[in-house]
Amino acid sequence: MTKPGHIPMLPQADKIGWSASVNGKSVSKSVESNAILLDVLRDYVGTLGVKRGCDMGTCGCCAVLINGEPRLSCLTLAQEVNDTDITTVEGLADGTHLAPIQETFAIYGGSQCGFCTPGFLVVAEALLRSNQNPTKDEIKTAIEGNLCRCTGYQPIVDSILAASEILSSNEGTIDSTQHQSDPHPGFIEEDN
Amino acid sequence: MSDEKEMVGYRQQPGKLPFARPGSGGKNQFSQLRDDELIPESQGGKKKQPWGDHRHDELVTSSAIGKRTPLYDAKWKVTGQAKYGDDIRLSNELIGKILRSPHHFARIKSIDTSAAESLEGVVAIATGADATAKFGVLPVTKDEHALAVNLVRHMGDLVACVAAEDEATALEALKLIEVDYEILDSNNDMAKGLEDSENPIHDRGKYHIGESNIQKRVFQEFGEVTNMEQKAVASHKANWHFQGVNHGFTEPHAVAAHWDPRGRLTIYTPQQVPHYLHRSLADVLEIPMHQINVYRTFVGGGFGGKSDPFPHEMCAAILARKSGRPVRITFDREEVFWINRGRHPSKIEMNLHADSQGRLCGVATDALIDGGSFASFGHVTTYYNGVLHTAPYEIGGFHYTGARVWTNKPASGAMRGHGAVNSRCAVEVGLDDLSEQLAVDPMTFRLANLLPPLSATITGFRITSTGMRECLEKVRAASGWDEKFRKLPLGHGIGVGCGFFISGSGLPIHWDPNKFPHATVHLKIDMDGGVTVHTGAAEIGQGSDTVVAQSVAEVLGLPLDMIRIRSRESDTSPVDLGSYSSRVTFMNANAAISAAMEIREELIEATTEITGADKEKLVIGDRRIYDKTDPAVGVSYLEALHKAQEERGALVASGAYRTPPMGRAHKGAAAGLAPAYSFSAYVAEVKVDVETGETKVLNVWAAHDCGKALNPLSVEGQIIGSCHMGLGQVLSEEMVYGRTGNLMNANLLEYKIPTVHEMPNVFPIIVESNDPEGPFGAKEAGEGPLLPILPSVCNAVYDAIGLRVNELPITQDRMHQNIEKLCKEQGVSDPLELTSPSIEYSQLQEILAKRAEEHEKRDKERRNSENVEPYHNGALFGYEATIPPEEQSNEWEVSVTPSQEYLENPRLAGSAWKHVERRHRSDA
Ligand code: FES
Ligand code: FES
Repeated sequence: MTKPGHIPMLPQADKIGWSASVNGKSVSKSVESNAILLDVLRDYVGTLGVKRGCDMGTCGCCAVLINGEPRLSCLTLAQEVNDTDITTVEGLADGTHLAPIQETFAIYGGSQCGFCTPGFLVVAEALLRSNQNPTKDEIKTAIEGNLCRCTGYQPIVDSILAASEILSSNEGTIDSTQHQSDPHPGFIEEDN
Repeated sequence: MSDEKEMVGYRQQPGKLPFARPGSGGKNQFSQLRDDELIPESQGGKKKQPWGDHRHDELVTSSAIGKRTPLYDAKWKVTGQAKYGDDIRLSNELIGKILRSPHHFARIKSIDTSAAESLEGVVAIATGADATAKFGVLPVTKDEHALAVNLVRHMGDLVACVAAEDEATALEALKLIEVDYEILDSNNDMAKGLEDSENPIHDRGKYHIGESNIQKRVFQEFGEVTNMEQKAVASHKANWHFQGVNHGFTEPHAVAAHWDPRGRLTIYTPQQVPHYLHRSLADVLEIPMHQINVYRTFVGGGFGGKSDPFPHEMCAAILARKSGRPVRITFDREEVFWINRGRHPSKIEMNLHADSQGRLCGVATDALIDGGSFASFGHVTTYYNGVLHTAPYEIGGFHYTGARVWTNKPASGAMRGHGAVNSRCAVEVGLDDLSEQLAVDPMTFRLANLLPPLSATITGFRITSTGMRECLEKVRAASGWDEKFRKLPLGHGIGVGCGFFISGSGLPIHWDPNKFPHATVHLKIDMDGGVTVHTGAAEIGQGSDTVVAQSVAEVLGLPLDMIRIRSRESDTSPVDLGSYSSRVTFMNANAAISAAMEIREELIEATTEITGADKEKLVIGDRRIYDKTDPAVGVSYLEALHKAQEERGALVASGAYRTPPMGRAHKGAAAGLAPAYSFSAYVAEVKVDVETGETKVLNVWAAHDCGKALNPLSVEGQIIGSCHMGLGQVLSEEMVYGRTGNLMNANLLEYKIPTVHEMPNVFPIIVESNDPEGPFGAKEAGEGPLLPILPSVCNAVYDAIGLRVNELPITQDRMHQNIEKLCKEQGVSDPLELTSPSIEYSQLQEILAKRAEEHEKRDKERRNSENVEPYHNGALFGYEATIPPEEQSNEWEVSVTPSQEYLENPRLAGSAWKHVERRHRSDA
């Protein structure tokens, strides 16, 4: 039942088929034709690493890579990016090896509360893919659309610089499942 | 240990152990001996201790403390695996949405939910009638409901809520709820809140102050207050206006609630203060606390804005109960502004007086703060606006009147630097003005008026350690102050400001401090050797998990990867008051240390048993416990552990922290009381474009005394982050209310948080004053660093163009108007002809410099001597330092109620005292 003269707020939209490759995995879903990419990623695909901070393009928390280009998913219709390659923060690591940018954000304090981090990470990743040795100013320009309330940005810029160093040194990051500290140090097996 | 007892342990040769302990992993990883560079001199190491010994020295194992340590949970965050409020997705969940008031102030005559109920997909609806019990973060001012009962008090106030199968249906249902309102006269002017009103926004019964909208009023007089003006040779007076600001955390509030089949409620929420929510939920739902499990998700920034128990959290629980299904409610950004709890819009009148010897003979502050529609933390905020500027300077007389009023705006509350930020800005700008009038260097002026370590402030706060002097000296040197101050060209300036903040509120709001501890930490170590730490300290991104893990690791000599933190659930963690008042490092790390000490004791005991070595000689190194005189004698951590576990299995320990007895007895003496205080000094360098009014901050040298930086990475992060937040308030952030009280900019486009381009270069400087009671000497670093940024920028603006601002933020248009006015005053037509202030020091400068030097010596002596005599504020004014001045002379006032004389001519907030509480009225 509705009130007389009541016009539903959200017009019922038709469902359409939507498919994309999200973090290298192809997904296809049936979504509303007016569905926003951010909602589709969070509610249908389940990549909850993509964050919603404002829903209107002002915070950058929802940034993802569409075919390698950073884009605000809260301002993107899912339809628009049908059949594209989408990378979210979940797609940056290589198995148990973090991407250099992830590792440096952790080490240099680029992430405090961490809510803005997914957005910064994908934007920085896009920058580093196109420019392995960015200057401070180039970094600042790249992240100007992202808000961070915790870090004051300085550690973020440092993290990105450090990641660019790792990239140019070709060193890579460590395996996060590698053996951790031995509580009984010093033991060597007999036949060693 | 008797000599006969055979040494059953072994001289361990690295790499030659008989067999692998179960669970050791059996890998070849040698441990390191203790790093002498990090072991204090008092323990035979090489670490210099300029500030003297510390009670935790013997616990230092060089494992974790003082090293730049990535956050414990950083890797969850960088991989997208961290689950914040809205990331909790429970199967079969419903989506909750909230109907909000479109009016500023109205009486709800009726609510008709029938149309909404019959909408397909709607599962439950709740209104105020479903939960009538009141709650609030402070037990003395419970004035909130889950949903409006009878009155809506601000636009956006919660009226009803709906749980439906999906978001669209829930939103649709909101539109179908019919509410009949009787609109009442609203008020958004804080000054008007002081007057009697026909319909006060709240009714506090017999405690109501007159018929006004005054929620809290404070009157305090300490010291020689009667003739401060007469004694002064220089006086400063300014009327400040601070706009309200919002925390602007990136994660909007979100909550999920679920009643499990056993009838217990689990609530998943990004809370800074889960324990208060726990209590409030029990009140509102009318169930015992043990029936509730509060689960703290990752918190996407708090800054005080997630420290109240919130009505939407109640709503989720109520809807989940009604529907029997999990309910998730997520705010959009606009709703975040409606719930607010940000910094109070304030009108502050600041009067400062300096006498001929350059002493601060009088501070008289009047602060009217706009609380919006609820009490929240306001009771405390009203005190903090006064008492938190009674240090770091020695003061001859202190007069404070404060009042917090209700208006029909979203509620103000606690925000980083709670209650101290605005009045601190006013004080520090005032000091700059005084030094200008006295023709002295503002640095020297400050240095010559500082309270020493181990002293008492004018209101009786106990200052244990202070690095204020070092902070000032360091920023002076780093910024090149002496070459720049009053010497830079027009439009380019430099300014200094200081800060002082509590390191943990001394009063646990909900109980007598003597009854329960402030913080408790539990440890559990099983056969695997990993240490599980149970703590209720709320990790909100500040690094509390990390600091607790570091403390445990340090005491037990373990690498951090062997420590795991369980801090999320009230079911598993001991009660903790949460992350507010900058208490976590001080209190939780102290509790963690004391728990770890118990385990350490057992490990050493066990090692003695195995090796027969003398207990006194045993030290803990990296995963090894050995004889310090013969490091080859010793056992691995796991061996000692398994020995200690022989009798009883897993080792468990509990440690607690409570504040020592402190403070005076006057009403309100507990407000602002803390076991330690942090100090900071900043120098900011700005450029002001005199033609456009644009202000750009170029550099900030930021020195903060955090006692001891347990994790320098976090401390620096906090300093830089505080600068960012404070810069927002000084340059661009304000909650703009329209003529009728509409909030005009409830979004991040128009509420302007600085981006990376507005950030100056911040040079964090850590000063370590080694607090005697702090964990390894540490104090807070999360809030204090915000305070100095506002005044240092304001003072730099003066140095640049000779303009004293008294309204924040100094947006471009405000500055432009200010500059136009200044031009008129100075009679110049072109702003480029304005003159940049210059200074020629008076004779007083030398006197002050000499006094500062003497005080420096005094402070050093006090710090390093064994038996320090008491030092009470007032000594600088000729009183005997060792006795509280009020006991020496009748001239020294201590009063918390205004005299009849004062009431004849009160200042703005002071006029709150014209009203009589209802219970004291003759007609009551
Ligand atoms: S959520 Fe997309 S920019 Fe904020
Ligand atoms: S780390 Fe909290 S918003 Fe950036």
